[in-house]
Amino acid sequence: MPRDSSVNRRSFLKAAGGAAAAATLAGCAADPDETTSGSDGGAGDGGSNATDGGDGSDGGSGGDVLTYARGNDSGTLDPQNTTSGEDVKVTNQLYDQLIMFKPGETSLRKGLATDWSLDGTTTTLTLREGVTFHNGEEFTAADVVATYNRFVNPDYEHYPGDDYTSAYGPFTLGNWIEEVTTDGEYKVTMQMTQKYAPFLRNLAMFAASILSKKAIEEKGTDLKSEPVGTGPFQFEGWDTSNQRIRLSANDDYWGDAPQVGEVVFTAVAQNSTRAQTLDSGGADIIDGIGAQASKVVSNSSNAELVEKAGINVGYMAFNMAKVEEFQDKKVRQAISYAIDTKAIVDTIYKGIAEQASQPIPSNVMGYNDDLSPYGQDLDKAQSLLEEAGYGDGFSFELATFKNPRAYNPSPIQAAQTVKSNLQEVGIEVSINQQSFNPFLDYTSAGKHDACFLGWMTDNADPDNFFYALLHPGISTDDVPDGQDYVGFDTEDFNTLNVAAWANTDYMTLVEDAQTTYDEATRKEKYNQAAQLAHDEAPWVFIDHAKELRGVANGVEGFTLAPISGPFLNLVSLN
Amino acid sequence: MVSKRFFLKRLLLLVPVLFGVATLVFAILHLSPGDPAKVIAGQRATAEQVAAVRTELGLNDPIWVQYGRYLFDIVTLNLGDSYIVRKGVPVLTILRARLPVTLELALYGQLLGILFGIPLGVLSAVKQDTITDHLTRVGALTGISVPIYWSGPLLILLFAQFLGLLPASGRIASAYDVPVYTGLITLDSLVYALSGGGFGAFQSAISHMLLPAAVIGVYSMALISRMMRSSMLEVVRQDYMRTARAKGQGAKITIMKHGFRNATIPVITVIGIQFGTLLGGAVLTETVFGIGGIGTLLVNAIEVGDYPLVQGTVLVFAFLFTLVNLGVDLTYSYLDPRIEQ
Repeated sequence: MPRDSSVNRRSFLKAAGGAAAAATLAGCAADPDETTSGSDGGAGDGGSNATDGGDGSDGGSGGDVLTYARGNDSGTLDPQNTTSGEDVKVTNQLYDQLIMFKPGETSLRKGLATDWSLDGTTTTLTLREGVTFHNGEEFTAADVVATYNRFVNPDYEHYPGDDYTSAYGPFTLGNWIEEVTTDGEYKVTMQMTQKYAPFLRNLAMFAASILSKKAIEEKGTDLKSEPVGTGPFQFEGWDTSNQRIRLSANDDYWGDAPQVGEVVFTAVAQNSTRAQTLDSGGADIIDGIGAQASKVVSNSSNAELVEKAGINVGYMAFNMAKVEEFQDKKVRQAISYAIDTKAIVDTIYKGIAEQASQPIPSNVMGYNDDLSPYGQDLDKAQSLLEEAGYGDGFSFELATFKNPRAYNPSPIQAAQTVKSNLQEVGIEVSINQQSFNPFLDYTSAGKHDACFLGWMTDNADPDNFFYALLHPGISTDDVPDGQDYVGFDTEDFNTLNVAAWANTDYMTLVEDAQTTYDEATRKEKYNQAAQLAHDEAPWVFIDHAKELRGVANGVEGFTLAPISGPFLNLVSLN
Repeated sequence: MVSKRFFLKRLLLLVPVLFGVATLVFAILHLSPGDPAKVIAGQRATAEQVAAVRTELGLNDPIWVQYGRYLFDIVTLNLGDSYIVRKGVPVLTILRARLPVTLELALYGQLLGILFGIPLGVLSAVKQDTITDHLTRVGALTGISVPIYWSGPLLILLFAQFLGLLPASGRIASAYDVPVYTGLITLDSLVYALSGGGFGAFQSAISHMLLPAAVIGVYSMALISRMMRSSMLEVVRQDYMRTARAKGQGAKITIMKHGFRNATIPVITVIGIQFGTLLGGAVLTETVFGIGGIGTLLVNAIEVGDYPLVQGTVLVFAFLFTLVNLGVDLTYSYLDPRIEQ
C-alpha cells in the first residue's frame, strides 16, 4: 500500500486523540445561558459547613441551605409563561402578588396591596410603599400596569407573543379586566367587564405575580431564565445539568424574611428514590409522594410525613351528549350506586384520598355538609336500571389516562374496579387507556362515552369547580327545552365540562353565585348547586386527594399549603 | 493500517443512517396521537389560543412541508426550541448541558467494567473449571441478568438508607455550587478544589458517582469478563503458547506477554460496542438515581410531548452510537488489517 494513501498507526492514534479532545471541548463547554451560576464565590457558607461535617452524606442538616426535592426540574421561571405546578413552586419564592393566600389556608391576606375593595365592576387597590424588586427598582403602580399589559395585551410594546404567555392570562385577568388605570404611584383601579366574585382570588394566583416594569422592558422573554420579583428569595443560578435552581434570601423582604441563607430546588424523578433521599439526609423537604413513597417517609426516623386535605376532585364523567343511556338520571344514579368508590379510595388509592360526595372538597367555601358519598348498593342500582328500562344492561367505553395524577394515583386499577363493579349490574365496560395529553384531546372533543378526570384548583374559589367543570359556558336560553345537556359542537361550549351537562337550574345558581359579592348568599347558592350536582349525578364523585410532603426532622416552621406556597421563607433549619 | 478510502467510506455511511433515524423519529412523533399546541397551551386554554399556538409553530402546514423544514433545520444544525421541558430554549443548548452528565456516567461505568472485568476474565480462563472459574462465571451471568431498575433501588436501600454511607440521588450535595467548566462534575469539582475551593465538593461528587457507576459498571464488567475468558481460552491453546512454554518460559510471563495481548483484540471490540449499550443503560440509571442526563431528559420530553426535544435527543443519541461504532470498526481494522476489505 503506497504510503500517501494510508494512515499509519501513530498518526491514526494522534488524529483520534485530537478528535476526541475536540469533541469533548465542543460538546461539554459550559454555555453561559444554560448554566448561569452565582458569581459570588461558589459554595459560600453552606459549602464550608458541609465540608466541615465531612460525613460523606449531603448537606442540609447543619448548613443553612434548604433543599427542596421534587419530581421534575422547572421549565421556566416566568409566572406568565407557565401552567405547570412544578414551575410555580419556584416562582412563588421569587414573586409576590397584590393579594396573597394565608400560608396553609384558603383565605386572603395583604400582599403588595395593603388595602382593596371590590365594588360592582370596579376594583381599587392601595399598594404597599417601600417595596423594592430584586433589581433595586422601587415597586409602584406602573409595575402593576406593565405586568397586566405584558400578560394579556397583544398591542403592548413588550407583549411576548401568544405562544409565550400562558392560558392563565385571559383565564385569570384578561377575560375580566377591561382596563387598568393608576392614580398616583400607589393607587390602582381595575375596571372589570362584569361583576365577578372570584376576582380577588384570581389576583392572589401565581399567574398574577407582579413583575418589574424595568425588567419587562429590559429582559423581555429572558425573564424565563432571569427572574426579577419582589419575593422572599432572589435568583442565584440555574444549573440544568444538575437540575438545580439556587435562590438566596432577600434580606430586604417586606414580609417575613427568610430564615435560611439559600434554597435549592432539585429534581429526583422517581418517587421512591426521592423519599430515600429525604431519609438519608439528601433533602429537607420533598413532595410528589405516592402510596409507596409515603411508606418510606413514615417509616423513616429522620423525617416525618405531613398531610393535609388538598383542594382537588377526581371523578368519572358521563358524556350525556354522546351516550343516550346516560341522558337518564336514573342510569347515572344507578352507576353511582354500583361503583364501590370507598374501595377505590381505601384500597387502590391506599388512603391518600377521601371519598367525594360533591364537586368541591370540604375546605372550599360552599361545601354542603349534608351530603354523603353514594355508598355501594347493588340492589338499588339494579332496580334504578330496571326503572329506566335498562334492566338487561348496556355497554360503554371508559376512557382514562394511564399515568398517575394527584387526584387519581392508580387510574388503570380504578378503571378495572369500575368495570368489575358494573359487570355485576349487567353493564359492560371497555377500558380505553391513553397518555394524558392525547387523552385530553379526546375528552375535550367529546369522543368519550365516559371518562376519568379531575381538577386541581387555581384559586380555591368554588366557582373554579362549579362553573369551570360543570357549566357548559353558554347562556341558559341556548339550552334546548326539556334537555339537560348540550353537544360538544355548541358554540362557545366549555370543553372542560366533559359530561356535557347543561342543567338550567344549576347554571342559574352558579351564574348568580359568580356575580354575588355577599359571602353568605354565595355560600347558600353553592350549597344548593352541590346538592343538585349530587342528585343529578353528571359525574360519579370519586375522591379528593390529600396533599403529602416529607419533611426532615431538622426542619421547623413548615406549613403545608394546598394552594400557593411552599412558604419557604417561614422555614428554618436546626 | 487504515486506508483513507475505508475511513471515508465509513464516514459517508453515517449520512444515510442518520437520515433514516431522523425520518423515523419524525414519523413516529407525527403519527402518534396528541396535539403539541394543546400541550403547550394547557388544559385551561380556549380553542382560539390553541389555534394561535398551532399557527405560530407552523403545525397547520402540510406534513411534507413540516418534514422538509425539519430536514433543512437539521442539516443547518438547528434542532429548534424546546416546547415545554425548557420553554423556548434551543434544544442544542439543553443537550450541551445534559450530554456530559450521561457521558460521565457511562465513562465511569465503562472504567469499572474494564478494571474488574478483564482481570476476572483472565483469572477465570487460567483457572478453568476450578471453583474460582465457576464463581466468576455465575457472578458474570448474574450481573448480566439483574435489571438496573431492581439493582439500583436495592443499592440505594443498602448504602444510603441502612448504612448511611453514600448519598441516594443526584450528582453533588446541594450545598456546593461548583462552577461548570466541562459539565463532568468530578472533573469540575476537582478543578474547583485545585483552584482553592476545597476538596469537599470533589469528595461529594465522587461519593455520588459510586453507586450509579457501579450499577451500570456491573453489566459491562460481566460482559467483558465473559468475553475475556473465552478469548483467553482460545489463545492459550495456540501453538505459540505451547512453544513458549516448551522454551521453559514461566507460566506468568507466557500468559501475560503472549496470551493476554492477543486475547484482548476481540475484547476491545466488545468494549467499544458495549459503550453504546452503556449509554442506553445510563437512561435507566439516571432515572433511578435522580440524575439529569439526556436519559431523564428524553423520558421527560416524551411524557409531556416536547417534539423538538425528543427529535433532538434521539438524533444526538443515534449520532453518538454510530460514531462509537465507527470508532470500533476503525480500531478493529487497525488491529486486524484483514477486516478492512
